[in-house]
Amino acid sequence: MSRTIEISPLTRIEGHLSIHTEAKQQADGTYRIESAECVGEMFRGFETILHGRDPMDAQQITQRICGVCPIAHGLASCKAQEMAYGIRPTKNGRLLQNLILAANYLQSHILHFYHLAALDFVDVTAVLKYQGSDPTLKQVKAWVEDSLAREDMFPAAPLLPRFEGDYIQSTEINCHLLGSYAKAFDMRALAHEMCAVFAAKMPHSTSLIPGGCTQAPTVERVLAYRTRLRELYGFIKNTYLPDVVTAAGAYPHLWESGRGPANMLSYGVFDTDDQGGLLLPRGVVIDGKLETFDQSLIAEHVRHGWYSADSGGHPSKSGTTPAPDKADAYSWLKAPRYRGHAMEVGPSARVMVGYLDPQTKWIKDAVDGVIGPAGLQPIHLASVLGRHLSRALEAIWIAEKANEWLDELDFNEKPAQKCVIPASGQGYGLTEAPRGAIGHWLSIRNHLIDNYQCVVPTTWNCSPRDDQGVPGTVEQALTGLVVADPDQAIEAGRVVRSFDPCLSCSVH
Amino acid sequence: MGTLTRRDFLKIAGALAGAAGLSSPGAQVFAKGLENIYGGKTRILWLEGMSCTGCSVSLLNSENPKPLELLTQYISLVFHGAVGAAQGQTAVETIERALAAGDCIPVIEGAIPLGMPRAQLFHGKPFAETLLPVLEKAPFVVAAGTCSSFGGVCSAEGNPTGAVSVKQFMEHHGLPTHKRLICCPSCPTHPASLIGTLAHLSTVGYPEVDRELLTPVMFYGTSTHDNCPRFHDYNKHIFAQELGDQKGCLFELGCLGPLTYTKCPERQWNGGVNWCVRASAPCVGCSSPEFAQRRDFPFYRNREGLQFAGKGGSGHGGDES
Repeated sequence: MSRTIEISPLTRIEGHLSIHTEAKQQADGTYRIESAECVGEMFRGFETILHGRDPMDAQQITQRICGVCPIAHGLASCKAQEMAYGIRPTKNGRLLQNLILAANYLQSHILHFYHLAALDFVDVTAVLKYQGSDPTLKQVKAWVEDSLAREDMFPAAPLLPRFEGDYIQSTEINCHLLGSYAKAFDMRALAHEMCAVFAAKMPHSTSLIPGGCTQAPTVERVLAYRTRLRELYGFIKNTYLPDVVTAAGAYPHLWESGRGPANMLSYGVFDTDDQGGLLLPRGVVIDGKLETFDQSLIAEHVRHGWYSADSGGHPSKSGTTPAPDKADAYSWLKAPRYRGHAMEVGPSARVMVGYLDPQTKWIKDAVDGVIGPAGLQPIHLASVLGRHLSRALEAIWIAEKANEWLDELDFNEKPAQKCVIPASGQGYGLTEAPRGAIGHWLSIRNHLIDNYQCVVPTTWNCSPRDDQGVPGTVEQALTGLVVADPDQAIEAGRVVRSFDPCLSCSVH
Repeated sequence: MGTLTRRDFLKIAGALAGAAGLSSPGAQVFAKGLENIYGGKTRILWLEGMSCTGCSVSLLNSENPKPLELLTQYISLVFHGAVGAAQGQTAVETIERALAAGDCIPVIEGAIPLGMPRAQLFHGKPFAETLLPVLEKAPFVVAAGTCSSFGGVCSAEGNPTGAVSVKQFMEHHGLPTHKRLICCPSCPTHPASLIGTLAHLSTVGYPEVDRELLTPVMFYGTSTHDNCPRFHDYNKHIFAQELGDQKGCLFELGCLGPLTYTKCPERQWNGGVNWCVRASAPCVGCSSPEFAQRRDFPFYRNREGLQFAGKGGSGHGGDES
């Protein structure tokens, strides 16, 4: 027997997404997903809004694409502008941009694991059995008890109601992870404070500009950043990574769940010099082999998106013409492809590319040190648990590196390079948002933006089918998934959330 | 732990009132209101329109109270698409129950695509169909952030969706906004303004607002420029000349502080660690109805290659046209 399984809306992500699947009942009563559609449900038209504007407006406007990863947009825009203007950031400018991005990575990864993903694993009601003395957990317990005793219409909202399913059984583990969940609220906000030390405010930095940053480094600023970084580093190392390992221990089958095409794309991120050096390298992995990335091989398909523009073109030449009533379309996302392949982007792609790149052997060593003893292979990075693990690992690396970047700041040097907008020019900016490869393509005519196109991480991951009918990455990752209760498909939510979807970004 | 004492309330209320710029008699009022809130009486239904989720993230940056305290001790957040557990049919039913309860205060984040309803879908249908009955029944409606307050970036010139603010959407559907709708702009909304407004609504009711903008005067009554720490530079005509200059008034670079009404200079952002002008970044006017609206009114001015002579421009731009 076949039936439809859907999660509409799929919440605890950024933005508006639904998934629709067709599933077949199996002999044991469970359902196996045979095909899936990802539906991006919101379109604002940023690329149209940007047309005819001052190019420097772009790093402010495009940050508003996403309130979770505004810095990645701002930075991609700055890089596209820097290329079009023919400038490079000053050394301080490069370091400050790195430090701002690093802080927002930590914010985003902590938010994702605890506040978006963890409620698929952790049983909140286990706190009712808590007998310990932790004041936060006692407070949460009292809150849940009280709302139940008062017969509140919405007990323990918004942590309830939820899908019922195979939550963690152990009260001890549930309460431990709930304690981390509570602590993570403060840690996430602390990471935003650390970001704002140089970014002026978060979300949506005003200090980030092409050529660097308006906020100069001072002893006071460096101290403000470093003290917060030390606290966050302790949390990431002693709580976040161990919690990911604990969750993995409870769900070992999720190393095999949600693999998808396992073709990986990373633009690379964190400039280590002004010659193109990157902390996490750029590259493409197709069929397990590392290739050099060539941005001319990206094409955007719109056959199944609500757009009427020509399909299959390079982003620098693409348009964005909405067609909300188009037949055969089912999503506001376009379908980007690399040399025709649906690609996974995000933490696992960054880690996999770094793992295979001989220039970054330190990544291979670090990853092998974690997955080797568990009997896992690099391919397991492309899985629900692999994505959570990759995030936690890179959070440690980024925090460690940020501490070094602070030392490299020069208190006597300018924080930004002056920029002059040419009458015409072209540029593109490639970097990595916390959730994957982000690219902005800009062309300038008569000093104004003539064309602006963004290809954003979740555009890759949650894309609809392409012109050839090949499903997107998450659509492929859902195919084959077994769901116990088709009305409460908690397993599907786990797969989709492991990609950390950002739907505002993906459509923009 | 479960029940907060009166002393706890007074302490917390003092912090909130401080954020609201109120003196201690105000704090007493807040304390009373917070007891009401804790009794589960103030239910918040958070709905996202065309948004970036930045206002939700900003809510999580709240200091007084911190986010976990806010969720467990102050409000009943019956639905929130980014942090709530409910998904799929559970989410749809939760919103229906909130509507049936009738006493939830909806907080709307994001603009509404009035000109292209299918530009935002919820559960397969235009979001407006979910939003409209909520706005019809709600005792108060709170617009969080500039998109829901004024349209924001979504409604900028050239936008293809016909994006509108909550006020415009309500007026379009003939819903009353007087003493009902209240707007907490800035991009994102400042958590202290939003939570202070919610506290006021649940204690003494609808606050004094700007008649046209419906922004609470207690948070949006003073221009950023008037309280700017670089105001003396402005008076002495000491102006920063290039982005990245650390000294001088930023007006000639495009700072919109004089046209912007916030408490940024006093409370700053993110735990008070920084704000735009302190970071030598010109104010982009993110709490203004004009924010990002016009192509010919760019954020930055006084540069080579700039050919605008737009409103508020300093006239230092290039000469090309």
